[in-house]
Amino acid sequence: MNRISIIIFAALATVCPGQVTFEDIKKSPNADWLTVAGDYQGKRHSPLTQINTANVANMVPKWVYHVPRASGLRTNPIVYDGVMYITNTNEIRALDAASGRLIWAYKDTRAKKEAVNRGAAVYGDRVYFVTADVYLVALDRRTGSVLWQHKYGNIEEGAFASAAPFVVRDKIMVGVAGGDTGMRGYIAALSSSTGEELWRTYTVPAKGEKGSESWGKYVEYGGAGTWLSGTYDPDTNTLYWTTGNPWPDFFGGDRGGDNLYSCSLLAIDADTGKMKWYFQFTPHDVHDWDAQAWPVLLDLPIDGKPRKLVVHANRNGFFYILDRTTGEFIKAEKLVDKLDWATGVDAKGRPIEVPGKDPTPSGNLVCPGVRGATNWMSPSFNPATGLLYVVTLEQCDIFTSSSKTPEPKKSFSGGGAGTKPKDLGQFILRALDPKTGKRVWEYPFTGPAESWSGTVSTAGGVVFVGDDDGQLVGIDAKNGKHLWHFNVGEGMLASPITYSVNGKQFVAIASSTAVFSFGLHEPMKAVPMPKITVQ
Amino acid sequence: MPLLAQHEKEGEESKNPAIGDPKAIDAGGKLFAGGCAACHGADGQGGRGPNLRMRVFWHAVDPPTIFKAVQKGVGAGMPASNLPEDQAWQVVAFVVSMTSPAIETTVNGDVENGRAVFSGKGGCTGCHSINNQGGKMGPDLSNIASVKPALAIRDAILDPDGDGADGYHAVSVTLRNGKSLKGVARNRSNYSLQLQDRQGNLHLINMADVAEMTLGKGSPMPKDYGSKLSTKEVDDLVAYLAKQSLRPFVPSKK
Repeated sequence: MNRISIIIFAALATVCPGQVTFEDIKKSPNADWLTVAGDYQGKRHSPLTQINTANVANMVPKWVYHVPRASGLRTNPIVYDGVMYITNTNEIRALDAASGRLIWAYKDTRAKKEAVNRGAAVYGDRVYFVTADVYLVALDRRTGSVLWQHKYGNIEEGAFASAAPFVVRDKIMVGVAGGDTGMRGYIAALSSSTGEELWRTYTVPAKGEKGSESWGKYVEYGGAGTWLSGTYDPDTNTLYWTTGNPWPDFFGGDRGGDNLYSCSLLAIDADTGKMKWYFQFTPHDVHDWDAQAWPVLLDLPIDGKPRKLVVHANRNGFFYILDRTTGEFIKAEKLVDKLDWATGVDAKGRPIEVPGKDPTPSGNLVCPGVRGATNWMSPSFNPATGLLYVVTLEQCDIFTSSSKTPEPKKSFSGGGAGTKPKDLGQFILRALDPKTGKRVWEYPFTGPAESWSGTVSTAGGVVFVGDDDGQLVGIDAKNGKHLWHFNVGEGMLASPITYSVNGKQFVAIASSTAVFSFGLHEPMKAVPMPKITVQ
Repeated sequence: MPLLAQHEKEGEESKNPAIGDPKAIDAGGKLFAGGCAACHGADGQGGRGPNLRMRVFWHAVDPPTIFKAVQKGVGAGMPASNLPEDQAWQVVAFVVSMTSPAIETTVNGDVENGRAVFSGKGGCTGCHSINNQGGKMGPDLSNIASVKPALAIRDAILDPDGDGADGYHAVSVTLRNGKSLKGVARNRSNYSLQLQDRQGNLHLINMADVAEMTLGKGSPMPKDYGSKLSTKEVDDLVAYLAKQSLRPFVPSKK
């Protein structure tokens, strides 16, 4: 780039169309889908109405993109200006969102680790994703040129990366996975222009810091990974981020105490990284019940008073309602019926535990199972129905503990969990009243109980969800009635999105190996061949 | 997508110490010139025997398989070399070096002069970026040494479309609304065209909207670098590009 064009570019940078701004992300989703959850609040609700309860029966596949060598895709697509960005292990691809044709692809062939990848982020003229060995990579989102990459963690210390980066103003929020093998989790804010680290907030205190007394040994390997992106309240500039399990997962004997801030929701100032408050769902977890499920930010009345809430369906089996300004516990409700490790929660939201539910060397049947009552599958909220749509799992597992001396970074998790034969469990889509946690309707899935797909809500009144049997399903948001389905032919481990290009609405989802996009049936118009000259 | 298809796996399997060792590669090169080049070409470009640098081989053939071929031959076409084991491994090391990402190999040339050729006489920055500096229409070269062997980089300079121009075919279109666009086809079919213009802007086009389309011969990259640049300048340019890796190369401990 010569000097003149640099000056022109700089002059245009703030007004140039085609630049994704903070304001754009605040307004998402609309035709575009700009964050993993579509919006900042985790509602995953699109205002698009072209596809609706009256016509969704006419929805047909518009294109399929088979991601080369993919297996178990976790990517939540991002769509901006007709381009869809999808990720896989150490790679990112840009697709024409109307035709499904590949525009460009980039793979870091020298990454030192492989892991799933949950999606990309867009800001300015850039698209960002993380490599498994903990680099944030910034690319020109039009050309796929790599602009820079920045290492923000060490696989040697047990961390790896899989979550979609999360853009807040000019910062890129990133987290780390690896809590099952002994590491120290954190959330970091990196500069969107250089990758420079601006702040880092650890999810496990250092020895001697407040909260470190809640650990016995191993505080330095406490885990509490941050492997799912969070949500954000622009009004208060607060991030809401969930944390994973303490380490070793299934043996708590050496880490007496609550093990802060594992299995928690953290409210964090986006400018400084300072923790405003925390709420721990599962103190001293021994069942690998990461709190990694989306905290959804809703403004709803509780007991007749308008409240700013954060609601959270947790792996431990409870659905929580908190005040998101103060972190005050408001109420909790059972998310699933198969829940036997606690009888309920007390006035402060702490579980009232049933004795004898820890893993044992010979195995102990506990409900929910290790995958939890829900997991990374996205919930969604429709303001018109007032309902929150959550994929839940009714299942128990046999939890075992190991008496081996824990060894960090050696794939040691202190035991394990396995499904009881003939008790595979069942996934059920539930519509909850988020003010109470009470179930309004439910849609049970048949299948092998291997589902990991979540939901997207639309103003057209249709909730889309990947079911447990390889079908993308459209369900009436009001009453849970089936409206439409399509067999994608394999399991889905990511959640659907919806977007629009040139006035046409699409619904897309990544299956295990491909990305599917659907729209309303239109009779195909013949494409006249242009006059083609080959030089 | 040429940038991608090449080096998907980290192949660390059964490495002989000769692999990646400059001395062994050098010795293997001499053995190759004496015994293999007659059929495989002096630079492994092929002849009576197969091209050893073709992308299809870059991971399909692992060192033990090459070793077996060198020692024992292949079918009726390739005779056994009867080389002692250490020398056979030297040949393998040379063949692997021809197909290893440039950053992992030793490339002769003046890197600094290559940088000057890249942004000066070569005019490469008009279309190519390295670390966000340069043009937007051609492939980004920030990481080229991690995905292409040095010989393939040289090939791409001297014979830009020798490997096809996938993703960068020169194209210009006149739309039915009268608008004209020019650039490269990042992808195209009978029904859609993903055109990138010189500024890097994307134009996602429905072919039903295209009245006329002109396809260039391959990519817009000049085809005359072989005559425009001296041999030394090409060597230096290759040496410079052979350093463009987003990650440093750390040789494994022998």
